[in-house]
Amino acid sequence: MRSALLVGTFAVAAILVSNTVAAHHGANLFDTTKAVMLKGTITRFEWGTPHNQIYFDVKDAKGEVQHWVASTEPAPVMLERGWTRRSLKEGDQVTVYIFAAKNGATVGNLQKIVLADGKELTAAGPPAGEQAAPAAR
Amino acid sequence: MRARVTTGAVVAATLFTAVLAAQTQLTPSDADLAQKNFLPIGPPSPPPVSRVPDLSGDWALGLGGIGQSLSAADPGGRMRGKEPDISYKPWALAYTMAQVPPTGPDAKYETNTDPAIHYCEPLGLGRIYMYPAKTKFIQTPEAVYILHELGPAFRVIWLNAKHPDDPDPQYWGHSVGWYENGDTLVVDTVGTNDKSWLDQLGHPHTEKLHFIERYKRVDDKTLQLDMTVDDPAAYTAPWPGRRNFTRSTTGFMRFMWVCSVRDNNEHYEKVGAAGNTGPTTFK
Repeated sequence: MRSALLVGTFAVAAILVSNTVAAHHGANLFDTTKAVMLKGTITRFEWGTPHNQIYFDVKDAKGEVQHWVASTEPAPVMLERGWTRRSLKEGDQVTVYIFAAKNGATVGNLQKIVLADGKELTAAGPPAGEQAAPAAR
Repeated sequence: MRARVTTGAVVAATLFTAVLAAQTQLTPSDADLAQKNFLPIGPPSPPPVSRVPDLSGDWALGLGGIGQSLSAADPGGRMRGKEPDISYKPWALAYTMAQVPPTGPDAKYETNTDPAIHYCEPLGLGRIYMYPAKTKFIQTPEAVYILHELGPAFRVIWLNAKHPDDPDPQYWGHSVGWYENGDTLVVDTVGTNDKSWLDQLGHPHTEKLHFIERYKRVDDKTLQLDMTVDDPAAYTAPWPGRRNFTRSTTGFMRFMWVCSVRDNNEHYEKVGAAGNTGPTTFK
């Protein structure tokens, strides 16, 4: 069933997986050798610690809805990446790249998410840009 | 001939049992705890004369600064138990290898034995700097206050002071500090309990721990931290750790990184449980 959901995959070199995924709780349960691409609709975004959770629905080839959950690093870390608690909202159409569970469950670690307008929100690897601006409070 | 073989077998069995017992000993002996520390404890006498470095600002262990091991030779935690810079006592090696880390190359989150995840106990010395969290230093003539948004937690580093003769064992111990070379804050800590891990891998310490931190202003954007583990009850020599802080882009306490057992359990239920078909240490 999962295979029907996959719009595509892209390989990720093991070295790029490195510390960010290794530091993530539950990373050992997920296949970190490749990220799965899914197109779906946000149903809920939980912002906090120890991790954020992104809930989204994906329709398979038969039109059946699969409920997915992707986790990210905690809010204080995602702030450094440019995310806020308003980065995602219910109803957003998104393309999600995720290290999915090895056992076929519809859960995993988020790698990046692309919004309908093309904006990318990264969740792994180096941040989008190093800012020199004064720290906001 | 047969008697000789039998005697040999008994000796071998006895030795095997002794080795097994030594390997499964997960706590220090009284003899271990009677060892003296390798390094001098407390401030030098007379104390160094130094300009006071400016440690102000919001210091982050950046997104690339996540560490698994305190070992300076193995920050990624890929050589657990075989680090070239750690000389374990047998019980400390057995303890380390008996733990199930929550993160890193040997992680099994679903069966981790991490006291910080299951009980939200304080992360403690060394391990507080294994996360991409922020730290702030408040410098006064009497003390330096180190504030951690992770936990959250704070420590008091007493200046112009000595350790008490018989400190009560506590998670963060008793810390004294002094400045050196115009650019470094030295923090000297004793009096810890033995409950926290030194890092994500489960490296233990005992109440004999003497932990030395040197916070050095390398340049305007960088604060280098060199740590030394001096615990003769767990290790046969001191061993080093290093972390580098950079300026935070979002600010200290923009989001307090609170540890909550409920949040940890809920996260496992929401994401980890579905991906796990085996046993778990979560309730």
